[in-house]
Amino acid sequence: MAQVELKDVNKTFGEVKVIRNVELEINKGEFVVFVGPSGCGKSTLLRLIAGLETLTSGEIVIAGRAVMDLPPSKRGIAMVFQSYALYPHMTVFHNMAFSLNLQGMAKAEIRKRVEAAAKILQMEHLLDRRPAALSGGQRQRVAIGRSIVRNPDVFLFDEPLSNLDAALRHDTRVEIAKLHSQLGATTIYVTHDQVEAMTLADKIVVLKDGEVMQVGAPMELFNHPANEFVAGFLGSPKMNFFDGKLTAISKDKNRAKFAGEGVTTKLVRLVSGDKAKGAKARLGIRPQNLRLDSKGGLRGRVTLVEKLGTETIVELVSDGKVPFRFASPDVPALRVGDHARFSFSAKHAHLF
Amino acid sequence: MVSRSLHHAVLALIVFIWVVPFVALVTTSLRSELASKTSGFWTAFTPTELGHRFSTHDKGALEEGLVFTGNIFDRLNLGEDSFPISGVVESVLFQGRIPDPDNPDKTKLIRKLVPTGEVMDVRGGAFRFDANGDFVWRFDAPTIPRPKNLDVFINQEPIFGTEAYQEVLFENKHVPNALISSFIVTIPATIIPITIAAFAAYAFAWMRFPGRDWLFVIVVSLMVVPTQLAFLPILQGFSGIASWATALNAWMTDCETTSSCAVASKSFASLWVTHTAFGLPLAIYLLRNYIVGLPRELLESARIDGANHLQIFTKLIVPLSVPALASFSIFQFLWVWNDLIVALYIGPNNADDLVFPIRLQQQLGTFKDQLHLLNASAVISMIVPVIVFLAMQRYFIRGLLAGSVKGG
Ligand SMILES: Nc1ncnc2c1ncn2[C@@H]1O[C@H](COP(=O)(O)OP(=O)(O)OP(=O)(O)O)[C@@H](O)[C@H]1O
Ligand SMILES: [Mg+2]
Repeated sequence: MAQVELKDVNKTFGEVKVIRNVELEINKGEFVVFVGPSGCGKSTLLRLIAGLETLTSGEIVIAGRAVMDLPPSKRGIAMVFQSYALYPHMTVFHNMAFSLNLQGMAKAEIRKRVEAAAKILQMEHLLDRRPAALSGGQRQRVAIGRSIVRNPDVFLFDEPLSNLDAALRHDTRVEIAKLHSQLGATTIYVTHDQVEAMTLADKIVVLKDGEVMQVGAPMELFNHPANEFVAGFLGSPKMNFFDGKLTAISKDKNRAKFAGEGVTTKLVRLVSGDKAKGAKARLGIRPQNLRLDSKGGLRGRVTLVEKLGTETIVELVSDGKVPFRFASPDVPALRVGDHARFSFSAKHAHLF
Repeated sequence: MVSRSLHHAVLALIVFIWVVPFVALVTTSLRSELASKTSGFWTAFTPTELGHRFSTHDKGALEEGLVFTGNIFDRLNLGEDSFPISGVVESVLFQGRIPDPDNPDKTKLIRKLVPTGEVMDVRGGAFRFDANGDFVWRFDAPTIPRPKNLDVFINQEPIFGTEAYQEVLFENKHVPNALISSFIVTIPATIIPITIAAFAAYAFAWMRFPGRDWLFVIVVSLMVVPTQLAFLPILQGFSGIASWATALNAWMTDCETTSSCAVASKSFASLWVTHTAFGLPLAIYLLRNYIVGLPRELLESARIDGANHLQIFTKLIVPLSVPALASFSIFQFLWVWNDLIVALYIGPNNADDLVFPIRLQQQLGTFKDQLHLLNASAVISMIVPVIVFLAMQRYFIRGLLAGSVKGG
């Protein structure tokens, strides 16, 4: 039984359709990440689940209850905002106790719960401070603590790390992952950072223009993207694409041969199964999956070499004037202006 | 650079122009009646040469003798317990007859200023005085001199006293009553509108209801209604209510047997209502604009935490709006405290209930020649708003939102 279920959810602001026909099931204890480019409706979808926006049509079920007519506080959710939204005039303790006080819980019980949450987040020493006297990371933890004390069915996070600096972002990400395994709570997490998505998620939901592009485990999305958008969105540097035509299609329509400008392939994975032989298609291959090979079919001229330490990224232009990238953990002996040839194995190529 | 110093010069000029009347007011209120009548306030800070008349001694106070001593300051300050004269004696005006050098055997009348240390003839005795006011008066033969009035010029030191304040505060009940009445009017006339406005502002900022924006525009546009224009209808309204209340009073109680049943149409309550009505549009406008600027996520967070509108208002909006509430209450307090015209037309008009500005206006008549008393009253009426302002000004400093959202 799914913990959170979205059935044909739609949301329009005035004339603008922001969320279109979203169908989604989230299981109990799952860590689900919504990713997508800015403005694709991630926050809106999260706010619909939280009850901060009203549905235009569709159904949302949380823990077996249809929640469309329930106020946010009755939906069994807790939310951590991008800006933390701490109450500035209250101490950390009172920030965390606020919702419990409103429920009329006994003082001793409140103290117990707040202290337990503070302990989990290792911030017992901060309880008497005001938000103004906290660092960004500490505020973040208070915001998380505030949702933990409510003991919700579902945690909602809206880009909780985007206000932190890079180092802290990494630490907090690790902490959130630990916290999730410790509490085992169902979590929905919005980000536009694919590293966060890949590292945290049990299940990634890729959104584009309010539509779900693909849902699945991180590596599945990475290895078997359902469309060109997902393929291009996940992975860094971005996947290389080459235009061309399908020259042959296997019987089960799962594999095809491709010929494009400067690239031809054997039978490789065909994603768009509705295409016929001779149809236009795009070949996608990740920069990491290219191999330097003096007999390779793909030839390019180097335009830029970026040495990042962990990886070296080489930008090239193919003979067909298509820019593409090659990434390697070693430092290849390539300089700007050099010509290089590449090959790749068929199992890493995708046809869209 | 040039524009900057020009800037400073203009600023200094403005400050000067604003401060001078205030200094004049305070200074005059601290001077003696005589001083405030005879010289401008700017002379009050430096020694000034002033003439006084003193008598050498009281009639019948002296025994027969050759030498008499005394002190001019003691004589001048005799029986005066306020504003004692002190300073340096410069000269005494001699007025009398001396042998005429042109006409032997004749005398002539002269007036001349005799400086300290010089001997002059007073009633046949040799009169000498020092700068500190001590004088010696010698006769050749034992006599009992008659008292003599002399004019003395003294370089007088500045002197201030609180006598004017004691007089206006304690001699009669006008100023204390005016203070009390002003408080009775001002405090509710500040608290009532700000309370109503805070609720309204929250509703206009964060609650969704049909016609909200139109209603807000209408409320704000009421700011343009001039007070004076509304007096007549307001007065009519209040007298209607008063006659209704009188009838009710007559019907419900046995007031006829004891005294009159009449309920005054001009009262403190009518002032509260009027000031509230005129204060509300601005209050709602200011507070809404402040409250609508509070971070939306803060309110959403409270909604998720289970707060309803009233709880969001009391636990979040009010504490976070303290700067706005404080600045509006200062405005309203000052405006009501200094208001003359509304109080004059709509406030109670029996002598004990007059508010301070009306009392001041009446004192303009009674204290025409007693500038020091008038100024003392004026200073008392100013002190209250100054205290209110100083007490509230720390709320003008923003930063209360620090830490609630990113960065800050
Ligand atoms: N209250 C609103 N009224 C009108 N349009 C809105 C409203 N809120 C969001 N939108 C629009 O809906 C779209 C999706 O917004 P949303 O905030 O969900 O994007 P997002 O995916 O969270 O983007 P980001 O990564 O920048 O936060 C945007 O085009 C936005 O302009
Ligand atoms: Mg967003």
